[in-house]
Amino acid sequence: MVVLFTEDESQLSGDLGIHDLGGTQGWGEVPHSPDEPAFHSDWERRVFGLMFQVLRRTATRPGEMRYAIERLDREDYFDHGGYYGRWEAVMEVLLEEYGHLASGELDDLVGATKGTGPAHRASPVGQKDPNQLPADRTTPTPGGRTVRRDLAEPPKFAVGDSVVALGHNETGHTRLPKYVSGVVGTVVKIHPAEVLPDSTAHDLGERPQHVLCVAYRAEDLWGSEAEVDVVINVDLYENYLTAAGEAV
Amino acid sequence: MSSETDHHHQVDPRSPEVRTEALEDLLVEKGLVDRSRVDALIDRFENDLGPMIGARLVAKAWTNPDFRERLLADADAVLISEGVQGAEIEHIEVKANERGVHNVVVCTLCSCYPWALLGLPPNWYKSPEYRARIVREPRKVLEEMGLTLETETELRVWDSSSETRFLVLPEQPEGTDDLDLEDLARLVTRDSMIGVAKAITP
Repeated sequence: MVVLFTEDESQLSGDLGIHDLGGTQGWGEVPHSPDEPAFHSDWERRVFGLMFQVLRRTATRPGEMRYAIERLDREDYFDHGGYYGRWEAVMEVLLEEYGHLASGELDDLVGATKGTGPAHRASPVGQKDPNQLPADRTTPTPGGRTVRRDLAEPPKFAVGDSVVALGHNETGHTRLPKYVSGVVGTVVKIHPAEVLPDSTAHDLGERPQHVLCVAYRAEDLWGSEAEVDVVINVDLYENYLTAAGEAV
Repeated sequence: MSSETDHHHQVDPRSPEVRTEALEDLLVEKGLVDRSRVDALIDRFENDLGPMIGARLVAKAWTNPDFRERLLADADAVLISEGVQGAEIEHIEVKANERGVHNVVVCTLCSCYPWALLGLPPNWYKSPEYRARIVREPRKVLEEMGLTLETETELRVWDSSSETRFLVLPEQPEGTDDLDLEDLARLVTRDSMIGVAKAITP
């Protein structure tokens, strides 16, 4: 039996990640402007430029920076100047976690109460059970920095297969969006294999996976509220997936 | 305390603007950041990268059926042969709009975007409103953004949840067959390559 998430569980819940926004309700119109510039103010520029040097000394593993953003407090995620505000907050988190800033050092400098900055509101890195992850496997060493890997084993699924992702009860980083969990979709394409961010973000090895593009019909995701003739395609790491007939 | 404290005491010490300025000064002082490299990076992303890179590929695909076929089948190989490289394009898939099919791209989990083809993403693309709603009520969202699709058009949403990045190949506007590549590329907006608009009809 495949169980759809109930309405309540598809809402912003916090415990499964404030970042996992797909399909959440209660939002207004998209603040769209066709000619929007890349940066709106100089501090956004500075944050962008700083990030690359900060990352070189902190979050170097695939998924590590994204996971740090996911660990931000709700206030810092939504109400701290948007996207580049999140980047500013996450630099503080990473620089303290990696020991480049003392606890509360930036608070002191800006005249805030010590220990009131984003680093003190962020959740710590969660402990992930390596036994819940797929086995690691050796792949040829790629030239240059890339998350792509060449796997000797073929994918377990083929284009046209019905699959379902049942995960989402483990802690920590994942690239499985809540809104497709438990819903049957169809494999439409197989992308190049990649290291598994669920593992690398937690420093548990590469555990590379085939990446499958899975198509979901809107009516399977949203029921009677779904718009007609809409297909949502989501790229999923192979270990997230089970053959739909075998799902229990 | 330094004079920096006086300088900031009128403003909110929690604001990202204040904290960014203080953080940069601190990281430079600690020798962790080279300010000139920060400047150079900003300059490159703000001035050398942008939607014109993707637009040039789209215009070429409109005028050259063989190029279009290769772009849709194996964009990575085409980008190598075209000398396009850079951040956030480890693996690119190009999705063609055509009669009866419209494509639109999102990243619901963060804000993944093909930087080296389109430059840095606009805020609306990274907004919770877009990320939440475009997978649940895409036709309504597109209408609000000014794009009404013909009836009987299948709408395909691509959620960038792995390191694959997507580029939409918009349809060539009618009556533009005589334009050269440069003029065609001017019709290809950023929005049309994300899939929230059509290419401009001149």
